[in-house]
Amino acid sequence: MRKHLKAGAVFATAALTASVLAGCGSGGGGDTIKIGAVAGLTGQFITAEVAKTAQRVFDDANDKGGINGKKIEYIVKDDAGNPQRTAQVARELADTGVVAMAGSASFTDCDVNDGFYRQQKLNSVMAVAATPKCFQSPNIAPVNVGPFTLMTAVLLHASQKLGDKNICNFTSLLPGNEEAVKEALTRWEKISGQTLKVNDLTVPQSGDLTPYLLKAKQADCDAILFNPAESLVVPWLQAAKTQGMDDVDYLLLAPAYTDSVAKAVGGLGLNVYAGSEFEPFTSASLANKGWRDTVTRADAQATAFSQGGYLAAKFMVDVLKTIKGDVTRETVGAALREMTPIEDPMLGTPWEFGPGESHSPNQGSKIVRLTGLRWVVVDDTFITVPNA
Amino acid sequence: MLQLSAAIAGLVTGGAYALMGLSTLLTYRLVAVVNFAQAAVGAFGAFAMVVLHEAGLPLFPAIVCGLVVAAVVHMGLGVVMVRWFSEASEGVKAAVTIATFTALVAVGLRLFGAQHPHRFPSPFDSPAVTVGGVVVTWTAVVTMVLAVLFAVLPTVLLKRTRIGLLLRALSERPTTAELIGIRVPRLSMVVWGAAGAASALAIMIVAPQLASDFSSQALLITPALAAALVGGFRSFTWTFVGGVALGVLQGLASTVVAFQQYRGVLPFLVILVVLLWTRRRDRWDSMA
Repeated sequence: MRKHLKAGAVFATAALTASVLAGCGSGGGGDTIKIGAVAGLTGQFITAEVAKTAQRVFDDANDKGGINGKKIEYIVKDDAGNPQRTAQVARELADTGVVAMAGSASFTDCDVNDGFYRQQKLNSVMAVAATPKCFQSPNIAPVNVGPFTLMTAVLLHASQKLGDKNICNFTSLLPGNEEAVKEALTRWEKISGQTLKVNDLTVPQSGDLTPYLLKAKQADCDAILFNPAESLVVPWLQAAKTQGMDDVDYLLLAPAYTDSVAKAVGGLGLNVYAGSEFEPFTSASLANKGWRDTVTRADAQATAFSQGGYLAAKFMVDVLKTIKGDVTRETVGAALREMTPIEDPMLGTPWEFGPGESHSPNQGSKIVRLTGLRWVVVDDTFITVPNA
Repeated sequence: MLQLSAAIAGLVTGGAYALMGLSTLLTYRLVAVVNFAQAAVGAFGAFAMVVLHEAGLPLFPAIVCGLVVAAVVHMGLGVVMVRWFSEASEGVKAAVTIATFTALVAVGLRLFGAQHPHRFPSPFDSPAVTVGGVVVTWTAVVTMVLAVLFAVLPTVLLKRTRIGLLLRALSERPTTAELIGIRVPRLSMVVWGAAGAASALAIMIVAPQLASDFSSQALLITPALAAALVGGFRSFTWTFVGGVALGVLQGLASTVVAFQQYRGVLPFLVILVVLLWTRRRDRWDSMA
């Protein structure tokens, strides 16, 4: 008995040493290429389908022989939307020897880990980025448009396509968002030459929203932009219907573009528009074919988030393939910076990581409209936000 | 004009606050527990109702099931209180309910999903009247009527009936009440169950107008406590007034540019002011 224990202890120590050594090798010496991701598998912000879809893309690449004969090992860590966990899991991933991050979908990842990624020379191709930091780091490049560029895009839709004159903005700010939101609004004002009739950045994340709608009604707004999360979109539109504001164009961002919102408020008969992050996920277009096939085989939910997971993993595989020789953090970093931009039919602009100090390569959105209980693509061309 | 409209719109939220405040006060008056988990228990029942309704159960049975779920959850908390904390101080009891609140929110998020909104049925959503440019729905009217009922019924029950007398004995001297032959555990279970069901009913009514996620509903406890505090944790009438006034104040605050971003802080401000006012005669050095 005692002997067994001893043998076990020796074995455990050996295994531990081996894994520590592997960790120190920065992945270069192992027989797999380790790619990491931080995602919310539990908690408030659940993005399990993102990792599942990305995993399928990597599995497909492995089935086709991997990268120069090496298999990709995809390690996803759950941060439960908790910043301490976000920091901890990034360190765990770095210790396992990941060479890059791909397909992360955590609300807190950029704000918490940006500094750590820079220090560790880790680069992240994010699937779902939602905070300003994600678009301001030399080490992070999201595949999605993000809430700020999207604000400009839906406002442009209202001013250019719908011909709205009195455009109003009701935005709920999250800590650290104010500057990015203001920049997005200014960008629209510069491009369109119009100014916002009402610009209210004080909308609370909970409570009754009727007073804000009354303000919009009094100001005679033709179009109202509203940014909060899915759970607030439903009462917002319901209250608008109650107040009889039927002629207004309601502009929403990507979080509102889901099947459950369509089911919940489609019956109200309001003019509701939302900006998509990619080729609209509800569209059966050819552009979506590769993703739809992958997400089905991954047995994941077909959401806009899962499109992010698909694209992030796909771009990472494409970049890895360009690397001659050892795949390490350094070579992946160099390959990302020197890559040729990738044209993808799911995006309005070519995607590249590139050498810049900050990255927001995706600048195109398609607008969807609530028609019955479904979202339907309004105009089959991407609105590409020009530089103001 | 906008101020008037916003104030009228605030009445609706005020009704919701009053309802929640009155349920909280009910628990406090009857079993002497300041229950921070009151709204969370209500949200649990309301979400159970929605999930069952979405699964195809007709509305009425779903509502009954939701009320039962909330009653059972609240009774569970009651069992813990009666068994282990019946002689504990109010502070300790309140701390237990805070722990319960945290647990319920975590479980609720897991069970009912955090992201995708559930569609709360709103049978009273049709417009009732238009006052000062604001369309008031039947939901608002029903909320108000229910809040008045919640304020009047317990007062009558406690003052005029024998069961009310027993309940008062139970809340003020649980041990003495037991010694003179009142079946305390059984009676307090009934109270816990009823208060749980009442808060579930309150959340079911107000949920369609507020953010439809579990934690927002559970956090209704803050304005509810502010309302109960206005009533000094004694008066049902003043709790009602406090809740409605708080809603109106929040509505008004959203029209004043200088205040609008502090709208969410108002319940805490009310709590602070009420505490300062009611304690104005206390000598601070003798408090300890």
